[in-house]
Amino acid sequence: MMSRARADSLSGALLVLPAIGFLLVFFLAPNLLLVGYSVIARMEAGVMQYGLTFDNYVRAFSVDLYWLVLVRTVRMGLMAALVSAAIAYPLAIAIAQGGLFGRVVTLVVVTPLLVNVVIRSYAWSQLLSRQGALNWALTNLGIAENPPQLLYTEWAVLIASVHVFLPFIVLPLAAAIGAIAPEIGQAARMAGANRVRVFLRVILPLSVPGLAVGLSLVFSLTAAAYVTPQILGGNFSPLIGTLIHQQVLALNDWPFGAALASLLIVLVLSINLVFLRGAERLTRRWTAGAGN
Amino acid sequence: MSNLTRAAVLVILFVIVAPLAVPVMMSVSDTPFMTFPPQGFTLRWYWKVLAEPEVQQSLWVSIRLAAAAAIGSLILGIPCAIGLVRYRVPGRNAILGLVLSPLIVPLLVTGLALLQFFSLAGNRWTFFQLAMGHIVICLPYVVRNVSNSLLLANPDLESAARIMGADRWTTFRRVTWHQIRPGITSGAIFAFIVSFDDFPISMWLADAREFPLPLFLEVAIQRFFDPSIAALSTLMILLALVMIGVMEALLGIKVRRFAG
Repeated sequence: MMSRARADSLSGALLVLPAIGFLLVFFLAPNLLLVGYSVIARMEAGVMQYGLTFDNYVRAFSVDLYWLVLVRTVRMGLMAALVSAAIAYPLAIAIAQGGLFGRVVTLVVVTPLLVNVVIRSYAWSQLLSRQGALNWALTNLGIAENPPQLLYTEWAVLIASVHVFLPFIVLPLAAAIGAIAPEIGQAARMAGANRVRVFLRVILPLSVPGLAVGLSLVFSLTAAAYVTPQILGGNFSPLIGTLIHQQVLALNDWPFGAALASLLIVLVLSINLVFLRGAERLTRRWTAGAGN
Repeated sequence: MSNLTRAAVLVILFVIVAPLAVPVMMSVSDTPFMTFPPQGFTLRWYWKVLAEPEVQQSLWVSIRLAAAAAIGSLILGIPCAIGLVRYRVPGRNAILGLVLSPLIVPLLVTGLALLQFFSLAGNRWTFFQLAMGHIVICLPYVVRNVSNSLLLANPDLESAARIMGADRWTTFRRVTWHQIRPGITSGAIFAFIVSFDDFPISMWLADAREFPLPLFLEVAIQRFFDPSIAALSTLMILLALVMIGVMEALLGIKVRRFAG
Protein backbone atom coordinates (compact mmCIF):
# COMPACT_ATOMS: atom_id res chain seq x y z
CA MET A 1 0.00 0.00 0.00
CA MET A 2 1.20 3.46 -0.89
CA SER A 3 1.93 5.58 2.14
CA ARG A 4 -0.69 8.19 3.03
CA ALA A 5 1.70 11.08 2.50
CA ARG A 6 2.70 9.98 -0.98
CA ALA A 7 -0.89 9.40 -2.06
CA ASP A 8 -1.62 12.86 -0.67
CA SER A 9 1.11 14.62 -2.58
CA LEU A 10 0.15 12.77 -5.77
CA SER A 11 -3.49 13.90 -5.66
CA GLY A 12 -2.31 17.38 -4.64
CA ALA A 13 -0.05 17.52 -7.67
CA LEU A 14 -2.90 16.37 -9.93
CA LEU A 15 -5.11 19.16 -8.55
CA VAL A 16 -2.61 21.96 -9.15
CA LEU A 17 -1.37 20.59 -12.47
CA PRO A 18 -3.98 22.19 -14.82
CA ALA A 19 -3.36 25.68 -13.42
CA ILE A 20 0.42 25.24 -13.52
CA GLY A 21 0.33 23.92 -17.08
CA PHE A 22 -1.88 26.79 -18.15
CA LEU A 23 0.42 29.41 -16.61
CA LEU A 24 3.53 27.78 -18.06
CA VAL A 25 2.05 27.95 -21.56
CA PHE A 26 0.17 31.26 -21.47
CA PHE A 27 2.25 33.28 -18.99
CA LEU A 28 5.78 32.06 -18.35
CA ALA A 29 6.65 30.90 -21.88
CA PRO A 30 5.41 34.10 -23.59
CA ASN A 31 7.28 36.32 -21.12
CA LEU A 32 10.51 34.34 -21.49
CA LEU A 33 10.07 34.43 -25.25
CA LEU A 34 9.68 38.20 -25.07
CA VAL A 35 12.92 38.62 -23.14
CA GLY A 36 14.65 36.23 -25.54
CA TYR A 37 13.37 38.13 -28.55
CA SER A 38 14.99 41.35 -27.31
CA VAL A 39 18.50 39.83 -27.65
CA ILE A 40 18.20 37.72 -30.80
CA ALA A 41 16.76 40.21 -33.28
CA ARG A 42 17.00 43.84 -34.26
CA MET A 43 15.49 46.10 -36.89
CA GLU A 44 17.92 47.67 -39.27
CA ALA A 45 16.52 50.10 -41.83
CA GLY A 46 13.15 48.40 -41.60
CA VAL A 47 14.55 44.89 -42.08
CA MET A 48 14.65 42.28 -39.30
CA GLN A 49 18.17 40.95 -38.60
CA TYR A 50 18.58 37.80 -36.50
CA GLY A 51 21.58 36.89 -34.32
CA LEU A 52 22.68 37.55 -30.75
CA THR A 53 22.69 41.30 -30.16
CA PHE A 54 22.49 43.88 -27.37
CA ASP A 55 21.81 46.72 -29.80
CA ASN A 56 18.25 47.17 -28.59
CA TYR A 57 19.45 47.86 -25.05
CA VAL A 58 22.30 50.09 -26.19
CA ARG A 59 19.74 52.05 -28.18
CA ALA A 60 17.41 52.47 -25.18
CA PHE A 61 20.21 53.99 -23.10
CA SER A 62 22.12 55.96 -25.74
CA VAL A 63 19.37 57.71 -27.74
CA ASP A 64 18.38 60.85 -25.83
CA LEU A 65 14.69 60.53 -26.65
CA TYR A 66 14.39 57.03 -25.18
CA TRP A 67 16.65 57.76 -22.20
CA LEU A 68 14.45 60.73 -21.37
CA VAL A 69 11.34 58.53 -21.35
CA LEU A 70 13.05 56.00 -19.04
CA VAL A 71 14.09 58.77 -16.61
CA ARG A 72 10.62 60.32 -16.72
CA THR A 73 9.05 56.93 -15.99
CA VAL A 74 11.22 56.36 -12.90
CA ARG A 75 10.66 59.95 -11.70
CA MET A 76 6.88 59.71 -12.18
CA GLY A 77 6.74 56.38 -10.34
CA LEU A 78 8.75 57.70 -7.39
CA MET A 79 6.79 60.96 -7.14
CA ALA A 80 3.44 59.19 -7.34
CA ALA A 81 4.58 56.75 -4.62
CA LEU A 82 5.76 59.52 -2.27
CA VAL A 83 2.76 61.82 -2.79
CA SER A 84 0.28 58.99 -2.29
CA ALA A 85 2.14 57.86 0.85
CA ALA A 86 1.69 61.35 2.34
CA ILE A 87 -2.03 61.35 1.46
CA ALA A 88 -2.51 57.74 2.54
CA TYR A 89 -1.40 58.12 6.20
CA PRO A 90 -4.40 60.10 7.53
CA LEU A 91 -6.77 57.81 5.58
CA ALA A 92 -5.06 54.66 6.87
CA ILE A 93 -5.14 55.93 10.47
CA ALA A 94 -8.87 56.66 10.12
CA ILE A 95 -9.50 53.17 8.68
CA ALA A 96 -7.40 51.49 11.39
CA GLN A 97 -9.40 53.19 14.13
CA GLY A 98 -12.53 51.54 12.74
CA GLY A 99 -16.03 52.56 13.73
CA LEU A 100 -18.54 54.08 11.34
CA PHE A 101 -16.09 56.74 10.18
CA GLY A 102 -13.47 54.11 9.37
CA ARG A 103 -16.01 52.10 7.37
CA VAL A 104 -17.06 55.15 5.36
CA VAL A 105 -13.42 55.99 4.63
CA THR A 106 -12.78 52.42 3.46
CA LEU A 107 -15.78 52.51 1.16
CA VAL A 108 -14.86 55.88 -0.38
CA VAL A 109 -11.24 54.76 -0.88
CA VAL A 110 -12.19 51.44 -2.49
CA THR A 111 -15.12 52.57 -4.68
CA PRO A 112 -12.99 54.29 -7.40
CA LEU A 113 -11.19 50.94 -7.92
CA LEU A 114 -14.37 49.65 -9.50
CA VAL A 115 -14.65 52.60 -11.87
CA ASN A 116 -12.78 51.88 -15.08
CA VAL A 117 -9.37 53.52 -15.29
CA VAL A 118 -10.28 55.07 -18.65
CA ILE A 119 -13.20 56.86 -17.02
CA ARG A 120 -11.17 58.03 -14.05
CA SER A 121 -8.51 59.45 -16.36
CA TYR A 122 -11.17 60.98 -18.59
CA ALA A 123 -12.79 62.61 -15.56
CA TRP A 124 -9.46 64.22 -14.64
CA SER A 125 -8.95 65.41 -18.20
CA GLN A 126 -12.35 67.15 -18.01
CA LEU A 127 -11.34 68.70 -14.68
CA LEU A 128 -7.92 69.90 -15.77
CA SER A 129 -8.57 71.12 -19.32
CA ARG A 130 -8.55 74.84 -20.16
CA GLN A 131 -12.36 75.12 -19.97
CA GLY A 132 -12.46 72.47 -17.26
CA ALA A 133 -14.03 72.54 -13.83
CA LEU A 134 -10.82 73.43 -11.98
CA ASN A 135 -10.05 76.50 -14.07
CA TRP A 136 -13.70 77.52 -13.89
CA ALA A 137 -13.56 77.34 -10.08
CA LEU A 138 -10.21 79.17 -9.87
CA THR A 139 -11.44 81.99 -12.12
CA ASN A 140 -14.81 82.40 -10.42
CA LEU A 141 -13.39 82.32 -6.92
CA GLY A 142 -11.00 85.06 -8.01
CA ILE A 143 -7.93 82.98 -7.13
CA ALA A 144 -6.38 83.15 -10.57
CA GLU A 145 -7.12 85.00 -13.77
CA ASN A 146 -6.52 83.00 -16.91
CA PRO A 147 -5.00 80.00 -15.12
CA PRO A 148 -2.67 77.83 -17.22
CA GLN A 149 -3.86 74.52 -18.59
CA LEU A 150 -2.65 71.57 -16.53
CA LEU A 151 -3.85 68.96 -19.01
CA TYR A 152 -1.10 67.41 -21.14
CA THR A 153 1.61 68.15 -18.57
CA GLU A 154 3.48 65.82 -16.24
CA TRP A 155 1.54 67.37 -13.34
CA ALA A 156 -1.72 66.12 -14.80
CA VAL A 157 -0.28 62.61 -15.12
CA LEU A 158 1.00 62.76 -11.53
CA ILE A 159 -2.32 63.98 -10.08
CA ALA A 160 -4.35 61.34 -11.91
CA SER A 161 -1.89 58.52 -11.14
CA VAL A 162 -2.05 59.31 -7.43
CA HIS A 163 -5.86 59.33 -7.60
CA VAL A 164 -6.03 56.07 -9.53
CA PHE A 165 -3.51 54.08 -7.46
CA LEU A 166 -4.11 55.54 -3.97
CA PRO A 167 -6.13 52.52 -2.71
CA PHE A 168 -3.12 50.27 -3.30
CA ILE A 169 -1.13 52.09 -0.62
CA VAL A 170 -3.97 52.99 1.78
CA LEU A 171 -5.08 49.37 2.31
CA PRO A 172 -1.66 47.81 3.20
CA LEU A 173 -0.89 50.84 5.38
CA ALA A 174 -4.21 50.51 7.21
CA ALA A 175 -3.51 46.82 7.79
CA ALA A 176 -0.06 47.62 9.23
CA ILE A 177 -1.35 50.44 11.46
CA GLY A 178 -4.29 48.31 12.59
CA ALA A 179 -1.83 45.64 13.77
CA ILE A 180 -0.06 48.08 16.15
CA ALA A 181 -1.16 47.40 19.73
CA PRO A 182 -3.02 50.51 20.94
CA GLU A 183 -1.20 50.20 24.31
CA ILE A 184 2.04 51.27 22.63
CA GLY A 185 0.54 54.60 21.58
CA GLN A 186 -1.08 55.07 24.99
CA ALA A 187 2.22 54.34 26.72
CA ALA A 188 3.95 56.94 24.59
CA ARG A 189 1.23 59.49 25.39
CA MET A 190 1.55 58.75 29.12
CA ALA A 191 5.30 59.18 28.89
CA GLY A 192 4.59 62.72 27.68
CA ALA A 193 4.84 62.44 23.92
CA ASN A 194 2.52 64.72 21.92
CA ARG A 195 0.53 63.56 18.87
CA VAL A 196 3.24 64.47 16.37
CA ARG A 197 5.84 62.61 18.38
CA VAL A 198 3.60 59.55 18.72
CA PHE A 199 3.17 59.54 14.94
CA LEU A 200 6.88 59.97 14.23
CA ARG A 201 8.23 57.58 16.87
CA VAL A 202 5.49 54.93 17.07
CA ILE A 203 3.08 54.81 14.11
CA LEU A 204 5.57 55.67 11.36
CA PRO A 205 8.29 53.12 12.29
CA LEU A 206 5.80 50.33 13.05
CA SER A 207 3.95 50.86 9.78
CA VAL A 208 7.09 50.55 7.64
CA PRO A 209 6.28 47.04 6.31
CA GLY A 210 2.86 48.21 5.03
CA LEU A 211 4.42 51.38 3.71
CA ALA A 212 6.99 49.41 1.72
CA VAL A 213 4.31 47.23 0.12
CA GLY A 214 2.23 50.30 -0.76
CA LEU A 215 5.18 52.27 -2.15
CA SER A 216 6.26 49.42 -4.42
CA LEU A 217 2.70 48.82 -5.64
CA VAL A 218 2.10 52.49 -6.51
CA PHE A 219 5.52 52.77 -8.14
CA SER A 220 5.01 49.62 -10.24
CA LEU A 221 1.49 50.51 -11.32
CA THR A 222 2.38 54.11 -12.20
CA ALA A 223 5.55 53.18 -14.10
CA ALA A 224 3.77 50.48 -16.10
CA ALA A 225 0.57 52.44 -16.80
CA TYR A 226 -0.60 53.16 -20.31
CA VAL A 227 -4.08 54.70 -20.07
CA THR A 228 -3.50 57.48 -17.55
CA PRO A 229 -0.30 58.93 -19.11
CA GLN A 230 -1.87 58.58 -22.56
CA ILE A 231 -5.06 60.48 -21.73
CA LEU A 232 -3.56 63.12 -19.40
CA GLY A 233 -0.07 63.51 -20.81
CA GLY A 234 -0.96 63.27 -24.47
CA ASN A 235 2.03 62.90 -26.73
CA PHE A 236 4.01 65.53 -24.85
CA SER A 237 5.23 63.52 -21.89
CA PRO A 238 5.04 59.81 -22.74
CA LEU A 239 6.04 57.16 -20.21
CA ILE A 240 7.57 53.83 -21.16
CA GLY A 241 4.17 52.18 -21.74
CA THR A 242 3.30 54.64 -24.51
CA LEU A 243 6.77 54.17 -26.01
CA ILE A 244 6.43 50.36 -26.09
CA HIS A 245 2.98 50.66 -27.65
CA GLN A 246 4.34 53.04 -30.31
CA GLN A 247 7.38 50.92 -31.15
CA VAL A 248 5.38 47.72 -31.56
CA LEU A 249 2.06 48.78 -33.06
CA ALA A 250 3.00 51.93 -34.99
CA LEU A 251 6.63 51.33 -36.00
CA ASN A 252 6.54 47.52 -36.03
CA ASP A 253 9.90 47.39 -34.22
CA TRP A 254 9.11 44.31 -32.11
CA PRO A 255 12.65 43.56 -30.87
CA PHE A 256 13.07 47.09 -29.51
CA GLY A 257 9.60 46.97 -27.98
CA ALA A 258 10.55 43.65 -26.36
CA ALA A 259 13.76 45.20 -24.98
CA LEU A 260 11.82 48.14 -23.48
CA ALA A 261 9.29 45.71 -21.97
CA SER A 262 12.13 43.65 -20.47
CA LEU A 263 13.61 46.83 -18.99
CA LEU A 264 10.21 47.59 -17.46
CA ILE A 265 10.10 44.13 -15.83
CA VAL A 266 13.62 44.63 -14.42
CA LEU A 267 12.72 48.13 -13.18
CA VAL A 268 9.57 46.96 -11.39
CA LEU A 269 11.19 43.88 -9.85
CA SER A 270 14.27 45.76 -8.61
CA ILE A 271 12.23 48.60 -7.08
CA ASN A 272 10.06 46.02 -5.31
CA LEU A 273 13.18 44.31 -4.01
CA VAL A 274 14.75 47.59 -2.83
CA PHE A 275 11.62 48.77 -0.99
CA LEU A 276 10.78 45.44 0.63
CA ARG A 277 14.39 44.56 1.60
CA GLY A 278 14.92 48.11 2.89
CA ALA A 279 11.84 47.86 5.07
CA GLU A 280 12.96 44.49 6.40
CA ARG A 281 16.39 45.85 7.32
CA LEU A 282 14.94 48.96 9.00
CA THR A 283 12.49 46.90 11.04
CA ARG A 284 15.22 44.50 12.10
CA ARG A 285 17.49 47.33 13.20
CA TRP A 286 14.72 49.01 15.20
CA THR A 287 13.52 45.85 16.88
CA ALA A 288 17.14 44.95 17.74
CA GLY A 289 17.49 48.41 19.33
CA ALA A 290 14.30 47.91 21.31
CA GLY A 291 15.83 44.85 23.00
CA ASN A 292 18.44 46.90 24.83
CA MET B 1 -7.94 60.98 16.09
CA SER B 2 -7.43 64.72 16.31
CA ASN B 3 -9.83 67.12 14.62
CA LEU B 4 -7.03 68.20 12.32
CA THR B 5 -6.56 64.64 11.04
CA ARG B 6 -10.31 64.24 10.67
CA ALA B 7 -10.53 67.46 8.64
CA ALA B 8 -7.65 66.33 6.43
CA VAL B 9 -9.38 62.99 5.85
CA LEU B 10 -12.63 64.72 4.85
CA VAL B 11 -10.81 66.98 2.36
CA ILE B 12 -9.04 63.97 0.82
CA LEU B 13 -12.29 62.02 0.55
CA PHE B 14 -13.82 65.00 -1.27
CA VAL B 15 -10.92 65.07 -3.73
CA ILE B 16 -11.30 61.32 -4.31
CA VAL B 17 -15.01 61.57 -5.12
CA ALA B 18 -15.20 64.97 -6.86
CA PRO B 19 -13.56 63.94 -10.16
CA LEU B 20 -16.09 61.13 -10.56
CA ALA B 21 -18.91 63.66 -10.17
CA VAL B 22 -17.67 65.70 -13.14
CA PRO B 23 -18.77 63.30 -15.92
CA VAL B 24 -22.04 62.74 -14.06
CA MET B 25 -22.76 66.49 -14.10
CA MET B 26 -21.65 66.95 -17.70
CA SER B 27 -23.73 64.02 -18.95
CA VAL B 28 -27.00 65.91 -18.52
CA SER B 29 -25.85 69.15 -20.14
CA ASP B 30 -28.25 70.27 -22.88
CA THR B 31 -25.44 71.43 -25.18
CA PRO B 32 -23.90 69.66 -28.18
CA PHE B 33 -20.43 70.05 -26.65
CA MET B 34 -18.83 69.47 -23.26
CA THR B 35 -18.86 72.45 -20.94
CA PHE B 36 -18.48 73.26 -17.29
CA PRO B 37 -20.72 74.22 -15.60
CA PRO B 38 -23.30 72.15 -17.53
CA GLN B 39 -26.24 74.05 -19.01
CA GLY B 40 -29.84 72.91 -18.95
CA PHE B 41 -30.92 69.34 -18.33
CA THR B 42 -31.49 66.47 -20.72
CA LEU B 43 -31.24 62.72 -20.74
CA ARG B 44 -30.93 62.46 -24.52
CA TRP B 45 -27.19 61.66 -24.42
CA TYR B 46 -28.01 58.48 -22.50
CA TRP B 47 -30.40 57.30 -25.24
CA LYS B 48 -27.95 58.34 -27.93
CA VAL B 49 -25.04 56.40 -26.47
CA LEU B 50 -27.11 53.31 -25.68
CA ALA B 51 -28.46 53.25 -29.24
CA GLU B 52 -24.94 53.37 -30.68
CA PRO B 53 -24.28 49.98 -32.36
CA GLU B 54 -20.55 50.18 -31.56
CA VAL B 55 -21.33 50.60 -27.84
CA GLN B 56 -23.69 47.63 -27.86
CA GLN B 57 -21.16 45.49 -29.71
CA SER B 58 -18.28 46.38 -27.35
CA LEU B 59 -20.44 45.85 -24.30
CA TRP B 60 -21.41 42.39 -25.57
CA VAL B 61 -17.76 41.50 -26.21
CA SER B 62 -16.82 42.63 -22.69
CA ILE B 63 -19.61 40.63 -21.06
CA ARG B 64 -18.77 37.43 -22.99
CA LEU B 65 -15.08 37.90 -22.25
CA ALA B 66 -15.59 38.52 -18.53
CA ALA B 67 -17.86 35.46 -18.28
CA ALA B 68 -15.29 33.29 -20.10
CA ALA B 69 -12.47 34.63 -17.89
CA ALA B 70 -14.45 34.03 -14.69
CA ILE B 71 -15.48 30.49 -15.67
CA GLY B 72 -12.01 29.57 -16.96
CA SER B 73 -10.23 30.86 -13.88
CA LEU B 74 -12.71 29.06 -11.59
CA ILE B 75 -12.14 25.76 -13.42
CA LEU B 76 -8.35 26.11 -13.05
CA GLY B 77 -8.32 27.99 -9.73
CA ILE B 78 -10.60 25.95 -7.46
CA PRO B 79 -8.67 22.64 -7.77
CA CYS B 80 -5.40 24.56 -7.55
CA ALA B 81 -6.43 26.24 -4.28
CA ILE B 82 -7.63 22.91 -2.82
CA GLY B 83 -4.37 21.21 -3.81
CA LEU B 84 -2.27 23.99 -2.29
CA VAL B 85 -4.19 24.24 0.99
CA ARG B 86 -5.34 20.67 1.70
CA TYR B 87 -2.56 18.49 0.23
CA ARG B 88 1.19 18.12 0.57
CA VAL B 89 2.23 19.41 -2.83
CA PRO B 90 5.94 19.28 -3.68
CA GLY B 91 7.33 22.76 -4.41
CA ARG B 92 4.36 24.47 -2.78
CA ASN B 93 5.98 27.91 -2.45
CA ALA B 94 7.25 27.92 -6.03
CA ILE B 95 3.76 27.04 -7.29
CA LEU B 96 2.19 29.78 -5.18
CA GLY B 97 4.78 32.22 -6.54
CA LEU B 98 3.95 31.24 -10.12
CA VAL B 99 0.21 31.60 -9.57
CA LEU B 100 0.57 35.08 -8.04
CA SER B 101 3.26 36.36 -10.42
CA PRO B 102 0.83 37.70 -13.07
CA LEU B 103 0.11 40.40 -10.46
CA ILE B 104 3.79 41.40 -10.32
CA VAL B 105 4.85 41.38 -13.96
CA PRO B 106 3.40 44.56 -15.55
CA LEU B 107 0.14 43.68 -17.33
CA LEU B 108 1.21 45.66 -20.35
CA VAL B 109 4.27 43.41 -20.69
CA THR B 110 2.25 40.21 -20.31
CA GLY B 111 -0.14 41.46 -22.99
CA LEU B 112 2.68 42.19 -25.42
CA ALA B 113 4.30 38.83 -24.64
CA LEU B 114 1.02 37.06 -25.43
CA LEU B 115 0.61 39.00 -28.67
CA GLN B 116 4.08 37.88 -29.76
CA PHE B 117 3.40 34.31 -28.62
CA PHE B 118 0.09 34.10 -30.48
CA SER B 119 1.45 35.63 -33.65
CA LEU B 120 3.99 32.79 -33.80
CA ALA B 121 0.98 30.47 -33.84
CA GLY B 122 -0.70 32.37 -36.66
CA ASN B 123 -2.87 34.84 -34.68
CA ARG B 124 -6.25 33.40 -35.59
CA TRP B 125 -8.88 33.22 -32.86
CA THR B 126 -9.03 36.70 -31.33
CA PHE B 127 -11.66 35.85 -28.73
CA PHE B 128 -9.78 32.75 -27.57
CA GLN B 129 -6.56 34.77 -27.29
CA LEU B 130 -8.27 37.53 -25.29
CA ALA B 131 -9.86 34.93 -23.01
CA MET B 132 -6.52 33.18 -22.32
CA GLY B 133 -4.90 36.53 -21.46
CA HIS B 134 -7.77 37.43 -19.14
CA ILE B 135 -7.70 34.04 -17.38
CA VAL B 136 -3.97 34.59 -16.64
CA ILE B 137 -4.71 37.84 -14.79
CA CYS B 138 -7.92 36.60 -13.10
CA LEU B 139 -6.49 33.32 -11.80
CA PRO B 140 -4.55 34.87 -8.85
CA TYR B 141 -7.76 36.46 -7.50
CA VAL B 142 -9.68 33.17 -7.64
CA VAL B 143 -6.87 31.15 -6.03
CA ARG B 144 -6.47 33.73 -3.26
CA ASN B 145 -10.18 34.00 -2.46
CA VAL B 146 -10.78 30.24 -2.52
CA SER B 147 -7.62 29.57 -0.46
CA ASN B 148 -8.76 32.07 2.16
CA SER B 149 -12.12 30.38 2.62
CA LEU B 150 -10.46 26.92 2.69
CA LEU B 151 -8.20 28.13 5.48
CA LEU B 152 -11.25 29.32 7.41
CA ALA B 153 -13.23 26.10 6.84
CA ASN B 154 -12.96 23.23 9.29
CA PRO B 155 -11.05 20.29 7.70
CA ASP B 156 -12.41 17.90 10.37
CA LEU B 157 -15.78 17.93 8.60
CA GLU B 158 -14.09 16.59 5.47
CA SER B 159 -12.32 13.88 7.47
CA ALA B 160 -15.61 12.96 9.10
CA ALA B 161 -17.26 12.54 5.70
CA ARG B 162 -14.35 10.37 4.50
CA ILE B 163 -14.50 8.20 7.63
CA MET B 164 -18.24 7.75 7.08
CA GLY B 165 -17.38 6.23 3.71
CA ALA B 166 -17.83 9.12 1.25
CA ASP B 167 -15.38 9.13 -1.65
CA ARG B 168 -13.30 12.21 -2.49
CA TRP B 169 -15.77 13.57 -5.06
CA THR B 170 -18.79 13.14 -2.79
CA THR B 171 -16.87 14.77 0.05
CA PHE B 172 -16.07 17.73 -2.18
CA ARG B 173 -19.63 18.02 -3.50
CA ARG B 174 -21.41 17.59 -0.17
CA VAL B 175 -18.98 19.21 2.28
CA THR B 176 -16.10 21.26 0.88
CA TRP B 177 -18.15 22.98 -1.83
CA HIS B 178 -20.58 24.41 0.74
CA GLN B 179 -17.77 25.50 3.03
CA ILE B 180 -15.90 27.42 0.34
CA ARG B 181 -18.85 28.83 -1.59
CA PRO B 182 -18.33 32.40 -0.27
CA GLY B 183 -14.72 32.27 -1.52
CA ILE B 184 -15.83 30.95 -4.91
CA THR B 185 -18.48 33.68 -5.20
CA SER B 186 -16.10 36.50 -4.32
CA GLY B 187 -13.40 34.99 -6.54
CA ALA B 188 -15.85 34.86 -9.45
CA ILE B 189 -16.96 38.46 -8.85
CA PHE B 190 -13.35 39.67 -8.67
CA ALA B 191 -12.48 37.76 -11.85
CA PHE B 192 -15.46 39.23 -13.69
CA ILE B 193 -14.58 42.79 -12.61
CA VAL B 194 -10.86 42.41 -13.38
CA SER B 195 -11.65 41.14 -16.86
CA PHE B 196 -14.45 43.62 -17.54
CA ASP B 197 -12.16 46.52 -16.57
CA ASP B 198 -9.00 45.28 -18.22
CA PHE B 199 -7.23 47.58 -20.64
CA PRO B 200 -3.51 46.64 -20.79
CA ILE B 201 -4.05 43.01 -21.89
CA SER B 202 -6.89 43.67 -24.33
CA MET B 203 -5.06 46.58 -25.91
CA TRP B 204 -2.63 44.15 -27.56
CA LEU B 205 -4.94 41.25 -28.35
CA ALA B 206 -8.18 42.89 -29.53
CA ASP B 207 -9.13 43.52 -33.13
CA ALA B 208 -11.88 45.59 -34.77
CA ARG B 209 -14.52 42.88 -34.28
CA GLU B 210 -13.61 41.84 -30.74
CA PHE B 211 -13.18 45.30 -29.22
CA PRO B 212 -13.91 45.37 -25.46
CA LEU B 213 -15.68 48.36 -23.89
CA PRO B 214 -12.67 49.97 -22.13
CA LEU B 215 -10.82 50.11 -25.47
CA PHE B 216 -13.89 51.61 -27.13
CA LEU B 217 -14.10 54.26 -24.38
CA GLU B 218 -10.47 55.26 -24.86
CA VAL B 219 -10.99 55.74 -28.59
CA ALA B 220 -14.36 57.42 -28.16
CA ILE B 221 -13.16 60.16 -25.78
CA GLN B 222 -10.91 61.39 -28.58
CA ARG B 223 -13.66 61.15 -31.18
CA PHE B 224 -16.91 62.31 -29.56
CA PHE B 225 -17.08 65.83 -28.22
CA ASP B 226 -20.72 65.81 -27.15
CA PRO B 227 -21.71 64.65 -23.64
CA SER B 228 -22.60 61.10 -24.76
CA ILE B 229 -19.28 59.72 -23.47
CA ALA B 230 -19.94 61.41 -20.14
CA ALA B 231 -23.30 59.62 -20.15
CA LEU B 232 -21.64 56.25 -20.84
CA SER B 233 -19.11 56.95 -18.06
CA THR B 234 -21.95 57.78 -15.66
CA LEU B 235 -23.63 54.47 -16.48
CA MET B 236 -20.38 52.61 -15.75
CA ILE B 237 -19.89 54.51 -12.47
CA LEU B 238 -23.45 53.50 -11.47
CA LEU B 239 -22.61 49.89 -12.36
CA ALA B 240 -19.55 50.11 -10.07
CA LEU B 241 -21.72 51.42 -7.22
CA VAL B 242 -24.18 48.56 -7.69
CA MET B 243 -21.31 46.05 -7.57
CA ILE B 244 -19.99 47.64 -4.35
CA GLY B 245 -23.46 47.22 -2.91
CA VAL B 246 -23.61 43.57 -3.94
CA MET B 247 -20.17 42.86 -2.45
CA GLU B 248 -21.06 44.66 0.77
CA ALA B 249 -24.21 42.56 1.02
CA LEU B 250 -22.25 39.34 0.42
CA LEU B 251 -19.57 40.38 2.87
CA GLY B 252 -22.22 41.28 5.42
CA ILE B 253 -23.77 37.82 5.10
CA LYS B 254 -20.36 36.23 5.53
CA VAL B 255 -19.48 38.30 8.57
CA ARG B 256 -22.78 37.41 10.23
CA ARG B 257 -22.26 33.72 9.50
CA PHE B 258 -18.81 33.73 11.08
CA ALA B 259 -20.07 35.68 14.07
CA GLY B 260 -22.99 33.31 14.65
